[in-house]
Amino acid sequence: MNILLKHIEYPESTELKGYCESGGYKALSKALDMKPSDIVDEVRRSGLRGRGGAGFPAGMKWTIASMDPKKPKYLICNADEGEPGTFKDKPILEKNPHLLIEGMAISAYAIGAEYGYIYLRGEYPEAKEILEKAIIDSYAAGYLGDNILGKGFKFHLFVYFGAGAYICGEETAMIESLQGKRGQPRIKPPFPVNEGFLAKPTVINNVETFANIPYLVEVGAYAYMKIGTPESPGPKLFSVSGSVNKPGVYELPMGTTLREIIYEHCGGIKDGKKLKAVIPGGVSTPIMTADTLDCPMDFVNLPKYGSMLGSGGLIVFDETADLRKVCLRITEFFEHESCGKCTPCREGVGWLSSILKRMCSGEGKPEDVELLLEISKNILGKCFCALGDGAAIVVQGFVNNFRPEMEGRAGAQA
Amino acid sequence: MNLVELTINGKTVKAAKGATILQAALKNGIYIPNLCYDRRLSPYGGCRMCVVEVEGQKGLSAACSTQIREGMVVFTETPVVAKSRKAVLELLLLHHPLDCPVCDKAGECKLQDMAYKYGSTSNRFSASRKDEPERLDSPVVERNPNRCILCGLCVRICQDHQGVGAINFIGRGFKTKISPAFEETLDCEFCGQCIDVCPVGALGSKTYRFMSRVWYMNEEEMICPYCGCGCTTNLSVRQGKIIRGRGKEGVGINDGDLCGKGRYGFDYIYAENRLKTPMIRKEGNLVRASWDEALKYVAERMGSIIEKHGPASVGAIGSQRCSIEDNFMLQKFMREAVGTDNIDSAARFGYAKAHKAMEKSFGSDFMPIGWEAPLNAKFLLVIESDITSAMPVWGLNFILARNNGAHLAVADSKETKLVRNSSQWIRLVPGTGVALLNGMMKVIIDEGLYDKEKAQGIQNFSALESSLKDYTPAAVSAITGVSEDEIRNLAREYSSAKSRLVAMTSGASENIKSLNTMLAGANLVMLLGDSPDTLQIPAEFSNTLGMWSAGVRPAEQGKEMQEMLYAKDASLKALYIMGENPIVTFHDVAAVENTLKGMELLVVQDIFLTDTAKMADVVLPACSWAEKDGTFMSAAGAVQKIRKIVKETGEAIPDWEIFVRLSKAMGKDLGLNSVAEISAQVSEKLSTLGKNDLKLSFNPAAYELIENSSSEFPMLLVTANILQHSGALSSLSRNLDSVVSDAYLELSPADAEKYKIINESYVKVISKRGEILLKAIISNEVPEKTVFVPIHFAHAKVNTLTYPAVNGGIPLVPVRIEPA
Repeated sequence: MNILLKHIEYPESTELKGYCESGGYKALSKALDMKPSDIVDEVRRSGLRGRGGAGFPAGMKWTIASMDPKKPKYLICNADEGEPGTFKDKPILEKNPHLLIEGMAISAYAIGAEYGYIYLRGEYPEAKEILEKAIIDSYAAGYLGDNILGKGFKFHLFVYFGAGAYICGEETAMIESLQGKRGQPRIKPPFPVNEGFLAKPTVINNVETFANIPYLVEVGAYAYMKIGTPESPGPKLFSVSGSVNKPGVYELPMGTTLREIIYEHCGGIKDGKKLKAVIPGGVSTPIMTADTLDCPMDFVNLPKYGSMLGSGGLIVFDETADLRKVCLRITEFFEHESCGKCTPCREGVGWLSSILKRMCSGEGKPEDVELLLEISKNILGKCFCALGDGAAIVVQGFVNNFRPEMEGRAGAQA
Repeated sequence: MNLVELTINGKTVKAAKGATILQAALKNGIYIPNLCYDRRLSPYGGCRMCVVEVEGQKGLSAACSTQIREGMVVFTETPVVAKSRKAVLELLLLHHPLDCPVCDKAGECKLQDMAYKYGSTSNRFSASRKDEPERLDSPVVERNPNRCILCGLCVRICQDHQGVGAINFIGRGFKTKISPAFEETLDCEFCGQCIDVCPVGALGSKTYRFMSRVWYMNEEEMICPYCGCGCTTNLSVRQGKIIRGRGKEGVGINDGDLCGKGRYGFDYIYAENRLKTPMIRKEGNLVRASWDEALKYVAERMGSIIEKHGPASVGAIGSQRCSIEDNFMLQKFMREAVGTDNIDSAARFGYAKAHKAMEKSFGSDFMPIGWEAPLNAKFLLVIESDITSAMPVWGLNFILARNNGAHLAVADSKETKLVRNSSQWIRLVPGTGVALLNGMMKVIIDEGLYDKEKAQGIQNFSALESSLKDYTPAAVSAITGVSEDEIRNLAREYSSAKSRLVAMTSGASENIKSLNTMLAGANLVMLLGDSPDTLQIPAEFSNTLGMWSAGVRPAEQGKEMQEMLYAKDASLKALYIMGENPIVTFHDVAAVENTLKGMELLVVQDIFLTDTAKMADVVLPACSWAEKDGTFMSAAGAVQKIRKIVKETGEAIPDWEIFVRLSKAMGKDLGLNSVAEISAQVSEKLSTLGKNDLKLSFNPAAYELIENSSSEFPMLLVTANILQHSGALSSLSRNLDSVVSDAYLELSPADAEKYKIINESYVKVISKRGEILLKAIISNEVPEKTVFVPIHFAHAKVNTLTYPAVNGGIPLVPVRIEPA
């Protein structure tokens, strides 16, 4: 599988020259000869689902935005890749910036946006330099600007550097941040597709989603859908970390099983140890046990195994991992990143991590695990945005799947 | 309006389309607990207390942020909902300090009430409480971050409603706190709106700190004694003393909004110089006297002056702060017992100009403002006025209009609060508003943008047209400093707006506008064929309009204020002053002092021993607004009751009663002996107001300065009220003085450099009338060649420099400044 990452293998893949020599910007040229609505239709037909985590059909988003009569429209790339375990956008941002620019330019043309922003994670300073240079080069070569490729299409692209808040990966908080406000999620509706950046129709897609666009346009929806599964078509980037022999970013068709990813592509568990657990899609997805290896990694099948595809950031744990500590560390992350707007998340997640802390330090009480479940229940579905829910389902996942170990019962380490 | 029908708790209710469940419920008398909702703000959805069950909806919905749909079925109090609310409360109470015994909010704390309603939680977790220091470092507002539940109401009311943005969230997650930038000391306009919206005790009134438990107080609804808004302030009284003011939803025209004066300014009645007994000057000193003695003395002296010099040698000054009844009795006493028509007030330098402009232009004798007028216009043009400072709560409607999408253009030399909240700032040279209006009209006429049919039918149209010939964009640009394009665009955009409004204030202390500015405003209104009520000029103080309407102004040949106090030939022998302090608030203090000294009899009836009272032959103690019954008429024309809510001070009696007694002492009976009797007669008089037919007429209005700057006096002194004060009255409030207690001189950084003046050092300000010392504040808010000084403060003697003006010229004061 070599679509999203294909250019990376060419020398000077970050340079415009390298990108073009490996076939870049052909799709943009083709797209500009198509009707914008045809591109939107093609994307909708392809069944491409957003790669940021929620898996919302990209074509649907584009259709709604392009039908909204309000103008101007804006395009935003969510490059605030900040969840522990997720680093799948990094290779595109750092090694293949023109793929993103091309994808965004095509998308902008399709929905009728003249201005786009790449909201880049504050901890990706290298990517910032690379992207900014790529944008300058693209302007010079006529892939961005007032008259792109001489075809009368105008699109300007800017990089906006985040300040290090995970919440700004939530699309409405991202818009607030982009508008110079405090990064806090907005009430929905109105949804960004209708009232987003500066209260105008705004399409926000993930880096990887945009990276899919040039290929999709090049080969068409029919060929694109041959990759992956019917409900989750297309290639997917998986970032694998933890106790495997070959951690890294892998491009594989949607629906590849966990077993194949861990044992074939990543070379199995480190030091020949036994697999204990996997977090399949970044730390906001529930942990899975070792007996779920045959689960296909896609939007439809993971929920059947009690988890979610999320961003596709796998974290693999071997038999020596102390899952209580893992759970604590993840909860502390959410506590630290809670924006503070709504009560259940701000107060509840902190409470969860305080309880886990005392459990880990041996001061836990017998009723603590039950308490964790109850607090999680009081958070789940009651928060303003998905951040608090994420923390709650993660804790529930740990307790439900590894209850003896979470309770610290003797002999549970196995 | 489109109504949506839905069912809440089995009851069918209707609410406007687009409303949220919470709004629909509250409107229909169904309470849903909430901690972060305020009717004035957009939904926030943070506290999660307002969750409800919606049929067919998975999970719970936040009522504050879920829009209603036709046929929606909502349940607000189910076991599931109660459990969820209890869980939220448990989370909030985890870290909230349970210091209710020493929290001033206890008893009216929403968190406390909700915890009581949804039941206690077992203490399942002993979390560490926040341990932030209390912040008591700013005036009147105290902050206790530990009690904060981060509902964000204070942040949003300050930013979105009040237009200030003094505080915001800092930090993230559990460590979030509310603070001014960089955790500095809070330095804002101190309106205190944040205190009223705080559901817990995180924000409090410092002046009320540890004063009382709420259940020991009676709360009284009272009309605010300060500006013309006529807000209702809720005053809490304990053991006969007012100790707190606050706004309350649904109460008064202000519907809960208050400025700092309305919230904190009540304590002027506890000033140390309150008069407790009558006083008579004996051997050069004022000494205590009994009422009988004092009234007899006044009656005799007054009688002999009338006998010797005739009744026309007696004059009287009424008060914009006294009730309608008080003022009515003053003029009745003067007209019937004394026989003089020399009756006027400080409004001569303020509201009288607006009245004269309305009378000349529209033929109207009564033009109150419309409280909601700003909300009905798509283009609001404000001429050299900070309405958010002069009329703070009405001013909020201008900000609201802009927030709702109207265009708010503010022509001002100073960067005021209204400017900061405007859509367009036309920065002009101070005092040139009239030229700007003329320039706009010139463009409108030249480009044919006016309502030809209507305008040409109005008297004097050709006179107006020819009077504008010199106000070409180029000429106006030279006068105002506004570019020709901006003048043209303003004229075009204003005249093409769907609905329009011109607004300005008419304060007695303001010297950048004059009768001509107001006439020009009226001309613009008529030129575009707009209704006269699209010119909005509010009466300045709590009862300016009431006083004016009660007849405190010459009716026939009587002397107006400038003749009484500033005429060279001192024809007045006796002056009776009620509730006014000319030595401080009137222009050209030296002239006033001279006139007062020349009186054979000076009677001052006041609640304080003012600087003017100190010069009097007789001083009579009156009751303050909270110590008597009566009525005020707001700038919007509403006659509202004030009530006796606290005991009178010493032997003070209401002003009206003084006239009842005095007239009897003079052997005349005015025939009215109670507020009810007076009110009955006053209402008869008031009922005729505003009934006459309008008669429109253009009045050409030129731009002219009465005094020009010169090489000797190169700068222009601008005077005005500031937001925290109102006339000289508010300077007697300790609470308000803790915010601003002294006059100052604002000047631009360039002028500071030029005249070598260091920030906060003292400067000498010299006009041809005198000199004063003021502390300098270097500020970008004022333009070059201009200095700004607030009046209010007796000791600053700012009016040493100024001079009175009642007609068309702009009374700016040329001054020179030098380091002191």
